[in-house]
Amino acid sequence: MLTVEGLRVAYGDIEVVHGLDLEVAAGEAVALIGSNGAGKTAALRAVAGLEPGCSGRVRLAGEEITGLPAHALARRGLVYVPAERRLFGAMTVRENLVLGAHPERPDRDRLARVVELFPRLAERRSQPAGTLSGGEQQMVAVGRALMRRPRLLLLDEPSTGLAPVLVEQVYAAFARLREAEALTVLVAEQQVPAALQLADRAYVLEDGRIQLTGTADELTDDPRVRRAYLGLT
Amino acid sequence: MALVLDGVAFGLQLALLATGLTLIYGLAGVLNLAHGQLVVAAAMVGAVALGAGAPVLLALGLAVVTAGAAAVLLDVTLLRPVYRLRGQARVLLSLLLTLGVAFAADGLLVHSFPFTRLNLSVATPSVELLGVTVRSASVVASLVAIVALGGLVVLLRTTRVGRAIRSLTQDEEGAQLCGVDPGRTRRLVFVLGGSMAGLVAVTQGLVSSVGATSGLDLTIFALIVTVVGGLGRVSGAVVAGVLLGVVHAVAAFHIGTVLTFVILLVAAIVVILVRPSGILGGAGS
Amino acid sequence: MSGPLGLGPGGVVAPPASSLRAYLPIVVASVVLALVPLSLGGSRYFLSLGVHLLVVASYAVAFNLVFGSTSQLFLCQGALAGAAAYCSVILGNRYGLPLWLTIPAGVGLAALLGGGLSWVAVSRRLEVIYLGIVTLAFSLVFTNLLLGGRELTGGETGLVVDGGAGTWLRSPAAAYYLFLALLVGHLVVYRAIERSRLGWGFRALRDDEVAAALAGVDVARAKVTAGVVGAAMLGSVGATFAAHEGFVSPTTFAFGEVDVRVLVVLALGGVGTLLGPVVGAVVVTVVDELLRPLGQLRLTVYGVVLVVIFLGFRQGMVRSVRSLWMRAGTRAGPRTD
Repeated sequence: MLTVEGLRVAYGDIEVVHGLDLEVAAGEAVALIGSNGAGKTAALRAVAGLEPGCSGRVRLAGEEITGLPAHALARRGLVYVPAERRLFGAMTVRENLVLGAHPERPDRDRLARVVELFPRLAERRSQPAGTLSGGEQQMVAVGRALMRRPRLLLLDEPSTGLAPVLVEQVYAAFARLREAEALTVLVAEQQVPAALQLADRAYVLEDGRIQLTGTADELTDDPRVRRAYLGLT
Repeated sequence: MALVLDGVAFGLQLALLATGLTLIYGLAGVLNLAHGQLVVAAAMVGAVALGAGAPVLLALGLAVVTAGAAAVLLDVTLLRPVYRLRGQARVLLSLLLTLGVAFAADGLLVHSFPFTRLNLSVATPSVELLGVTVRSASVVASLVAIVALGGLVVLLRTTRVGRAIRSLTQDEEGAQLCGVDPGRTRRLVFVLGGSMAGLVAVTQGLVSSVGATSGLDLTIFALIVTVVGGLGRVSGAVVAGVLLGVVHAVAAFHIGTVLTFVILLVAAIVVILVRPSGILGGAGS
Repeated sequence: MSGPLGLGPGGVVAPPASSLRAYLPIVVASVVLALVPLSLGGSRYFLSLGVHLLVVASYAVAFNLVFGSTSQLFLCQGALAGAAAYCSVILGNRYGLPLWLTIPAGVGLAALLGGGLSWVAVSRRLEVIYLGIVTLAFSLVFTNLLLGGRELTGGETGLVVDGGAGTWLRSPAAAYYLFLALLVGHLVVYRAIERSRLGWGFRALRDDEVAAALAGVDVARAKVTAGVVGAAMLGSVGATFAAHEGFVSPTTFAFGEVDVRVLVVLALGGVGTLLGPVVGAVVVTVVDELLRPLGQLRLTVYGVVLVVIFLGFRQGMVRSVRSLWMRAGTRAGPRTD
């Protein structure tokens, strides 16, 4: 579904991602794990079209999408959910969700389906998104992305700002979604255990380079990963 | 009562003037200091067309189209480099650029049309309203403003395009991630804001007249109303426009126009210092 | 990108360390300007043009200090200069006070107003755009109060200065050197501040206010100081100019008359450069004279100049010439260091 070759991202004179290669097959869930500042966000932002200065090749389902702006990628079904969520705080939850499928006409059935996935949102429907709790905002952010029936969902640190219980709930929701919608997911995460539980495969990113790759089970058993990211010896 | 009605009529025009400015600022981060010149350009085109014998509606249509076109032209040419900057740097560069545009346009307009005025106030009969006699021209101008403002609010609140505009105003990157095309939406907003300025030429031409030298004054009025309503807030601009219009009418009657202008300016300063998000308050967008 | 919100120099340059090299440009500029009247044969017309040049250059040095050094967008140069001028004239006319008392009083008032504006901006954390609007509104309030306060200010006809007629102040040649002295004084103050601890703070806060504050720069104090000193500069020129002309009117200090010109002068010469205000003033004065037949279209030329500068030529003339010079130098010979 997604093929990334030789992706480089720089902020000013400082390069933070040095030639990243990555692949996500249709229906697969892939995790990009690494510590804070490893370049995960930069890489996802570049794939999502938010870093116009990046170089490298990106293809979505075989189609060359390198250099396309973010809104064009969203319309092609590559939907990015940033760690900051970027909701429209003064607009209602419903408006936020409906915007997820812009410029399409609001689809009632789809809206009902998304609200069904996150029942909490039903109660909050007409409330401004800015008044919601962190967990609820995360639901709106993911719900907004699902409105478009994405071909590929990019999730950046979905655990940000959430209590451990909520992190579990959010990842449980992702697991349900994978079954229900056959979603293709690329998730960047510092909370490695949760991400490895969800993912089929994972890449370990350190200092802007892939250091390690394998199936989620392989990496969970890898002593280096256990030491650095799972807090085990 | 007559004063209040006068004030509301004037205030509706102020609102029309300021919504264009505030809409563009809210979405694009551009404080267009050449906004008044858009009104003047529209007025001059309208006056010339009328002078050449064009039917009234065609001439006024041309006027409105001129302002809308001039605004979008500004967006796609001179302002392009501005959008590469973010936040304060973008606001400052756009401010200085549009100030230059305002001077350039002012010089050109005053030079080319020294004696032209758009004046639509053909001897109109007066009508009775709430027990007060009002000029029908004033009623028509107010109706035009109400329809335009109402149309804008409906567009923003209920349509997909309106939703896209509001989303971009709140969070540019978030809107892009939802598939909103920032460049296209911005061009649309410049057309809308410019056309509102063009409509001000029409309503102002109905109640009095617009000459080539009015640009700076119009920009200042627009700025005052925009600031009092809260920069970037359309509903704030409407409320502030009507409110300041009434203040203007009442104060001008009692203490003269010079001091009235001072009052409006001081009101703008006080709002900035005490409540920068505008009289409607709340967290700024 | 750095400088006042990306509009200034690419990379903030500290002034030369040695005293001689730091002040040499001022010496050279003042000698050149001092020789100008001699070469023009003392024509009254050229001398009065020269006075206007020096006045606008001095205004621009003040604006450079406030906007260029501390990124405070003051759109009230004319109003601050005018406040000092009116204060001085009114004190002189009403109470018969001598100029050596009334001018400092006017300067004090301007400094108070400028410092007050800065202080309000700092304490309310006004973003650049809001400070721009507040100071613009302040300008317009000032002009309208002049128009409205007829008994005190003479309304739109203005005030004639009692006395002073026939003194050296009114002679164009003497006035030329007086305003040259004022300009040189402003340039020296500007450079001295640049070289002081305060100037280091200016450069730091211009790059990044938060970082500057963390590095121990008292940002509020630095900005208010710039506001006070800049306004005092404006006031000294405004009050002296009123004494020289023997007349003040609202148009002398109107936004469209002073601020627009100062903005063009500083943008053209180069924001944040020592001699930018002088170079800009010379160019604008000459061009202004050449374009006089154009009438209203001169405003169009100014507008286009502003747009062009801010679009593509943001460094201004002084810095562009200097970088050309340096490029030529590095190409001409191998570097020895």
